[in-house]
Amino acid sequence: MSRMLPSMVPGVVRDAEGKARSDDVAYEFLAFKLGTETYALPLAGVQEILKPPRITRVPRASHEILGIVSVRGRVTTVIDLRRRLRVPEGPIDKNTRVLLVEAGNEVLGMLVDAVMQVYRLYEDEVELASAVGGDMNEYVMGIGRPRAVRTLGRSTSQDRSDPNDILILLHAEPLLRR
Amino acid sequence: MAGADDESGVREEFLSEAQEIVETLSRDLLLLDESQKAGRSDPDLLNDIFRAVHTLKGLAGMFGLPSLQTLAHTLENLLDDLRLGRVDLTQDTLDILFDGIERIQQILASGDQSTAHDISDLEKSIDRVADATLITEARDPLKDYALGDNVLGVLTEYEEHRLRQNVSQGMPLYRLRVSFGLSSIDTALEELKTRARSLAELITFLPSMNGGGDEEVIDLEVLLASNSEFEVLREALVTGNAVLELVPRKSAQPQRVEIERPKAGQQRAMHAEAAERRTAQTAAPSQAGAGEPVEPVESTQPETRTHTPAQPTAAMDRVGADALSLRSVANTVRVNIQKLDHLMNVVGELAIVRSAVSQITERLRTHPELRYLSTELHRIARGFERNLTELQDGILDVRMVPLGQVFDKLARVVRQAARDARKEIRLEVKGSETEVDKLIVEELSDPLMHLIRNAIDHGIESVDRRLELGKPSIGVISLYAYQKGNHVVIEVVDDGAGMDPARLTRRAVERGIIDADEAREMSRDDVLNLIFLPGFSTTDRITDLSGRGVGMDVVKTNISKLGGVIDIRSEVGKGTSVNITLPITLAIISALVIRVGGQTYAIPLANVQEALLLDARSIRTVEGREVMTLRGGTLPLCRIRELFKLGDNLEVGRASRQFVVVSQLGARRIGLVVDMLLGQQDIVIKALGKSLRNVRGFSGATDLGDQSVTLVLDTPQILEEVLASGDRRGAEAAS
Repeated sequence: MSRMLPSMVPGVVRDAEGKARSDDVAYEFLAFKLGTETYALPLAGVQEILKPPRITRVPRASHEILGIVSVRGRVTTVIDLRRRLRVPEGPIDKNTRVLLVEAGNEVLGMLVDAVMQVYRLYEDEVELASAVGGDMNEYVMGIGRPRAVRTLGRSTSQDRSDPNDILILLHAEPLLRR
Repeated sequence: MAGADDESGVREEFLSEAQEIVETLSRDLLLLDESQKAGRSDPDLLNDIFRAVHTLKGLAGMFGLPSLQTLAHTLENLLDDLRLGRVDLTQDTLDILFDGIERIQQILASGDQSTAHDISDLEKSIDRVADATLITEARDPLKDYALGDNVLGVLTEYEEHRLRQNVSQGMPLYRLRVSFGLSSIDTALEELKTRARSLAELITFLPSMNGGGDEEVIDLEVLLASNSEFEVLREALVTGNAVLELVPRKSAQPQRVEIERPKAGQQRAMHAEAAERRTAQTAAPSQAGAGEPVEPVESTQPETRTHTPAQPTAAMDRVGADALSLRSVANTVRVNIQKLDHLMNVVGELAIVRSAVSQITERLRTHPELRYLSTELHRIARGFERNLTELQDGILDVRMVPLGQVFDKLARVVRQAARDARKEIRLEVKGSETEVDKLIVEELSDPLMHLIRNAIDHGIESVDRRLELGKPSIGVISLYAYQKGNHVVIEVVDDGAGMDPARLTRRAVERGIIDADEAREMSRDDVLNLIFLPGFSTTDRITDLSGRGVGMDVVKTNISKLGGVIDIRSEVGKGTSVNITLPITLAIISALVIRVGGQTYAIPLANVQEALLLDARSIRTVEGREVMTLRGGTLPLCRIRELFKLGDNLEVGRASRQFVVVSQLGARRIGLVVDMLLGQQDIVIKALGKSLRNVRGFSGATDLGDQSVTLVLDTPQILEEVLASGDRRGAEAAS
């Protein structure tokens, strides 16, 4: 069912545990919060996570573009992912982060409400957008349904997640297209 | 993936090397053209060209480009024949060589370099030129000289050709006998060549046999041609036991010797033999010492001060100097400009570090017990800053290349275009050593090429017409470049027909660009600037040269993109002069930093004419647009706050005061209304990301050193936009 996944997600990770699984290929995603929902981008495309720097507004740019920042001398555009995905905007607080993501020949800053953790998802934990059906936006790759035990990284409150928790998996590139 | 990257890297390396060779080649060909016109041959130059083509052939072979290799091989053969005098150097031959360079460039420019390139027509032209060359010569001048067959017989074909050439030009021949130690012969010989270079042409050096039998010493007989005075030559060349003498002419030699120049192939074989013989001789010089002695030269009293220089023209001296300067070019490194951009970014980062350090210094100063630390840190920070500035200047300097790179290309265009248009045109170039940022040079060639083609096509009249008007038959196009402060000025001047303002306005009205009333009110400058408007072309005749739909508007757009300004002056019957003013570098520019609506922006000073306090009482409205009177003229105003829809965030305490920054593009001006002028600063402009390419009004962004980024206004674009929208509004109001 998810034969398309490998071509969409860079950075395939082999499962070290080698558990009794029909398919031992896993994909890493970085999960973050936008409003009340949890989204995730392929980890390989995320270059850096920054605390929000001072952003310079660019007049006449589209509403989703927050402005520009300088990251080590390179001028980088920052978009507000909440506006892009039409999620209600919360205030910018101590959890707000900017992800530097490579999207179509350009490194883009994406403002998110909070960064959560890295998930390693196996193919049977991913439902592709095409399979879910309905009117999905082109930037939605699919839905991830992680089992709590498979999470990586530091122990956070997310570790024992509700089995009903879902991740909305995103493509970086169409996010830039308009 | 890594493999593909490697491959493209290698390919890029090849392309840039090939490009460099082609540039040198075309420069040399132009010099050759010049010296040919001056009626002299320049063997060194011809050799350089031959070697360059040879190198190119080798490169092409190495990188598997058969079409380029074949082309280079064909040219190489022609050059070899030229070098050896089998083919005469004429304008036709030069045409073929220029054509060859053009084709090489086409092959390099086309992405697909493996496809076959048809050169059969080129080969045909070469055959034609070769056939045209006379194969008989009235008389062999060599017979006039006391040179034995043992000398003539061992000359290579090239040496013999050079000898003949020199003799027929009346150059006196000299013979220098020197002895070198076996161990140091290489260096000693090089040294001799260097000393002789400026005075004489070394034709050959042959090992001669001395009776001394010293196995550690080789005696050489050097044959050279020179029109320097004997004493001068002796001073320069004779050291130790060396002997210099004039090769005498056999005085009475009335009989005419008809010799036939053998055909190329035959001759090659003959000389290969001669060369072989000589190699054998050189290989065993000491044994040969016992053998047959070289026929002694009939030594006569050396003639002194009898030879005046034959025809050393100023042009030839210049050719020599240029050829010399080319030699030093080899001592360079090719660097991708992106690497320099990266270094520039790092310097920018360091500047931020520096300002952070100076802030800490300030804070330390407030603690009395740490004051000595503060002083120390301040001193170190100053040293750091000095070095940083030097580093920045150094990187900028590396980006600079001489404008000659473009001018050489243009010289080729002029030569070709003038021949195509059957006009006689001389290109005068001055200031090609003026340096500009590499990126600017790249972007300049198209606009300049267009201007030059315009001058050839529309400016310079036909030969008949010029004579009718009492002008010299040869039209002159001048290309001048010089530095003016932080700018470089390039002038393209022709002495052609000039532009007729009446004709320009008539055309503009016909095309509906302006109406008759406007036409009447226009100043002379305004009329000339009409040619920069899109859709304006004064000739109905579409020519191969300039009528290809690329108008002067494109030229102007390209120049403005570089932060430059273009001006035009023209006088009917006398000619046209186009003046381009460009910033020296795109990487670092002076900017005016302003604030408006609570935001900070930088405006490149190149676009700023003046800045003044806005006098609210002087504002009027014309067709819904705000204007003010500035020194008797009308200045349209643009409120940046409204243009960018910024908040009403007035700077506290300054609410009532505003400023006007006057910006000019060609003949048009606009006043940008801002809240505050913060001052002037040198900034490094960085490109905005692709995601912002549709946002108009900004040419980039810069770090001002306070950890936030500042947008740089694209004033030419804003001016176009505002004035265009005003025109639209005007048109709507009128209808």
